[in-house]
Amino acid sequence: MILINIISLLLLLGACVSESETGPPGWREPPDCVRASELCNQNSQCSSRYRIMRQCLSGGDKERSAMLASRECQGALEVLQESPLYDCRCKRGMKKELQCLQNFWSIHMGLTEGEEFYETSPYEPIHFSEEFRHASIISDSSLSKLSPCSEAGKPCNPCLDAAKACNLNETCKRLRFAYNSICSKATPPQSSVANQEPCSRKRCQKALRQFFERVSWELSYPLLFCSCPDQACAERRRRTIVPSCSHQERHRPSCLELRHTCRSDALCRSRLADFHTNCQVTPHTATSCPHDNYHGCLMSYVGLIGSDVTPNYSDNSPSNISISLWCSCRGGGQQEAQCEAFHRDFTHNTCLKNAILSFGYGAEGGGASVTELPSTFLGPAQPPVISKPAPSLHAIKPMDSACVFSTCANLQDGGQKCVSSEEFECEESLLARESMGSQDLAGPRSGGGGGKSPPGLQLCVGVLVLPALRRLSLL
Amino acid sequence: SRTKRARKPRPCDLRKLVLKVSELGLGYESDEEMVLKYCSGRCTAHRQNYDLTMRHMVQTAFHNQRRDKVSSGPCCRPTAFEEALTFLDNRSRYHIIQNVSAKNCGCV
Repeated sequence: MILINIISLLLLLGACVSESETGPPGWREPPDCVRASELCNQNSQCSSRYRIMRQCLSGGDKERSAMLASRECQGALEVLQESPLYDCRCKRGMKKELQCLQNFWSIHMGLTEGEEFYETSPYEPIHFSEEFRHASIISDSSLSKLSPCSEAGKPCNPCLDAAKACNLNETCKRLRFAYNSICSKATPPQSSVANQEPCSRKRCQKALRQFFERVSWELSYPLLFCSCPDQACAERRRRTIVPSCSHQERHRPSCLELRHTCRSDALCRSRLADFHTNCQVTPHTATSCPHDNYHGCLMSYVGLIGSDVTPNYSDNSPSNISISLWCSCRGGGQQEAQCEAFHRDFTHNTCLKNAILSFGYGAEGGGASVTELPSTFLGPAQPPVISKPAPSLHAIKPMDSACVFSTCANLQDGGQKCVSSEEFECEESLLARESMGSQDLAGPRSGGGGGKSPPGLQLCVGVLVLPALRRLSLL
Repeated sequence: SRTKRARKPRPCDLRKLVLKVSELGLGYESDEEMVLKYCSGRCTAHRQNYDLTMRHMVQTAFHNQRRDKVSSGPCCRPTAFEEALTFLDNRSRYHIIQNVSAKNCGCV
């Protein structure tokens, strides 16, 4: 009986996996850039040109353009454009991601000379996935059913619910603790003065990147994109990434300076290019997002957190969402327009705002999206955008719920066990309980708290099930 | 069979409870909810001769001559704590609490 259940669950999940894994038909995946450079190195002509190309790009900013103009470098570039390195891409969170990105830029930097305002994203396109539909399961059904927001008279704070869901998951709790303790000057109760050390920005940003890379987005996105009815909630949302350490600095640099810093780092440069690819306001779609793909935009936004261009909410306004970088364009002189244009992609980005609102509000997203004129920097005047949330966000088919099951079986088992209270064998613990004047730990709350399945923990863990499926087919 | 199982005392093990940080009694005001793991259950099976002797001493020798208090059996206590927990309090400040949630239990 159990076996049958497991098999049927795997089959359902198999359906879920295959649906989200298949790309558009006829679309062949480009090789990743680590593999591409291996292929290039097997060919003597390609590898020698690749070596030349890397030398062409090794100098500083000024030398580089002169070097690139030379005949040798141009020749190398020409050969490399025919190689697998030319159209290679990288996967988010892949093994050797940094190496892959460095390989990508080693040829693409030569193609553009780093002069382009928007650069090609080195990452694979984010498919129009079934995945994001699951987001609406979290925000529509699981959370809103269990969240206090649905109960009249109780305070409503979806960001608090997101924190709870994270606390109930071991990985999320552990990695949230990791970045919080590094980023915040958090005060342990006793030694509050003695232990206070200033935060290390670099370590903090690394811990943030790890949090968003390793925690499933079903748990991390609600912390960052929760919808808020009041300022207290919005302040919690704003503080999610511990902005005092990760976002703000004593000195507020020029936005172009910030962009320059970012572009000199392969990872930051890639994340920025990815953000521009996926969150660029477009007049051609209903949502203002490229291909109406909210998930793509949110994913690339999250990718920037922990980089030199870490964006964040600029205030604790609950409904009027405003995102910015820690930089300014005042006194930028000639380049002020370019500087503004760069920053406006964060501050006045209709696509990004719609994506955030749509994630946070789920079904009510229709009433919450923004209509705003997109940045005028981008050429011809554009008509006002009619914003409505992507239809895919709200259509929940029965199939979707089949992919959902709890990954928290242990916790629930444990929870149910908590219900009954036991006598203590120890006299001292009995004494202690009396002196504390506290209630029995397993008392009144446990029935409601421990036994119930926690909200937001229902995940589609299709990826984890793949090996299991393979094993099954071997039998 | 259900009633029988319910009556049978359970051995010492780790149990879980979901509650608000402010309910921990440590003075923090935060509505953030967390999992508190604690140790509970009987340690009867882990009694040593020491425990049997102590129980006897309390009833006889200690009772007459001294007022020493001793525990008459091993206690179900945490043998290790979970790593610290961070949370935002209701004024949006981060805090860390250590050694509040049990990781392993033992009869000691």
